[in-house]
Amino acid sequence: MTASLVALPTVFSIGLQRQLAYRWNYLLRALFSAMPLLVSWVFWKAVFQGKETVGSYTLAGLLTYYAVLLVVEAVSSPADDDFQISREIREGMLNSILLRPLPYGLYRGALFLAGRCAYLTAAVLPVALCFFLLSRVVPLELHSLDWIHGIPALIGSALLQFSLTLCLSLVSFWLLDISALIFLVYSLEFLAGGHVFPLDLLPAPLFTAARILPFAYEYWFPAASLCGTIPREAWMAGLGMQFGWAGFFLLFAAFLWKAGLRKYTAAGG
Amino acid sequence: MATPFHLVRLWLIQLRYAASRELAFRANFFAWVVVELAWFVLQLAFVGVVYQHVESVAGWSRQEMIVLVATNQLIQQIFTAFLMPGLVKLPELVREGKLDFVLLKPAPPQFLVSTSHLEIGPLANAAIAAVVGILALHDLHITPTLPSLLAYLLLVLAGLLTHYALLLGLVSLTFWIIQAESVLLGYYSIFQVARLPREAATGWFRILFTLVLPLLLVANIPAATLIRGLQPSSILLLLVTCLTAAFASSFFFHLGLRRYQSASS
Repeated sequence: MTASLVALPTVFSIGLQRQLAYRWNYLLRALFSAMPLLVSWVFWKAVFQGKETVGSYTLAGLLTYYAVLLVVEAVSSPADDDFQISREIREGMLNSILLRPLPYGLYRGALFLAGRCAYLTAAVLPVALCFFLLSRVVPLELHSLDWIHGIPALIGSALLQFSLTLCLSLVSFWLLDISALIFLVYSLEFLAGGHVFPLDLLPAPLFTAARILPFAYEYWFPAASLCGTIPREAWMAGLGMQFGWAGFFLLFAAFLWKAGLRKYTAAGG
Repeated sequence: MATPFHLVRLWLIQLRYAASRELAFRANFFAWVVVELAWFVLQLAFVGVVYQHVESVAGWSRQEMIVLVATNQLIQQIFTAFLMPGLVKLPELVREGKLDFVLLKPAPPQFLVSTSHLEIGPLANAAIAAVVGILALHDLHITPTLPSLLAYLLLVLAGLLTHYALLLGLVSLTFWIIQAESVLLGYYSIFQVARLPREAATGWFRILFTLVLPLLLVANIPAATLIRGLQPSSILLLLVTCLTAAFASSFFFHLGLRRYQSASS
């Protein structure tokens, strides 16, 4: 176990180098990720025409939510970890990893962390520029961000997204192509995760239902925690749900890994 | 020299081959129908949530907005079926040197790259989008006239050409950037603009996405043609801008092609 922990910084470093080898790809990704914020600004400006509030949101409050989503996405969303894991299983590349005294979950965790660090580095400038430009036309409420409640929720979101990604990818032991499954979950994450609109704009019964599902804790919960729109008690309960779901998916991933390895056939030299 | 007739025949052969390849994986076909349908439902849910709080957005009522979203989905799904699958393979072809095999064939490389693959699933979703659009028109008590219907079909083709131009331009970046997989994310991000009502956009945003990248016209003009009747100036604007974008992206592709270095020894 100690040997595994000693190896993790090296895995992290290799992951970082692998990610930064494609700097342009990362920069493009970061630039394009700002596009939804621009679209949201144009669309919601038209929605707010002649109105002070929509639901409990002002235009500035709503756009702050979308801006904060960019930060949440940069910190916690896996890039193509799901497809990498799937390829490793499908193409028999697991062989070399299985021979090493390093648990696969920890190995992937270190690579996920390296990917997030590389993406954050590439995204800092475009995101900051985007915030700056947007704050010139709309008074974003960035000064009142609640980092004390936001940071634990961000960490929980990263853990939840990583564990869910791990579960989905490990289905590759049984299915040849999991891309349809991955994109189906993406669509659920977008809708029920609060990526398209803040979940509290939903009618009350749907909002309650959305908070039972794990997706709300991937985007809406950390973004709303950072924006400071969640009362303390609800935040505590939300954090419990978030880490509870993350724990569940980690356990489920461990189960899938054990079951999958029994089915896995190592081929090639 | 390949004639247009020769190219059409070649495309039909490629389509037949791609269709038989697609149908070999029927479960995958149904899975992708569900995935694309989920994304369409997501867009309709967004419209539903927004119109719970307001009566109209930039002069578009709920049902009009559904016609706009359905038109956008129709165009995007037809594009996803016929042209997108081939284009998104370009970065891999360039990176691994497999473009050599395309360049050796006696047909224009842009044509071969664009038409090499087909996905049938999106066609089912295009049909669903058409039904949703028709139902919304029915709710609006609108029966399109024959001229506006013909104009709509022409504008859908123009919209397809705009999608094609933008994605061809984006994937052509692969001649300069080794790993250009994120361009697909770029395509989806940029095309969110096409779902916006044109009247919502103002200033530089409107100019940029009308004249330089005519995304505000792609679904807006066909949808407005069905809802409000023929508007010749808008139709002409979409036709001119989509043709310009197509020529510009084709030029960019060929510029990139000159940089391509074969992977063979």
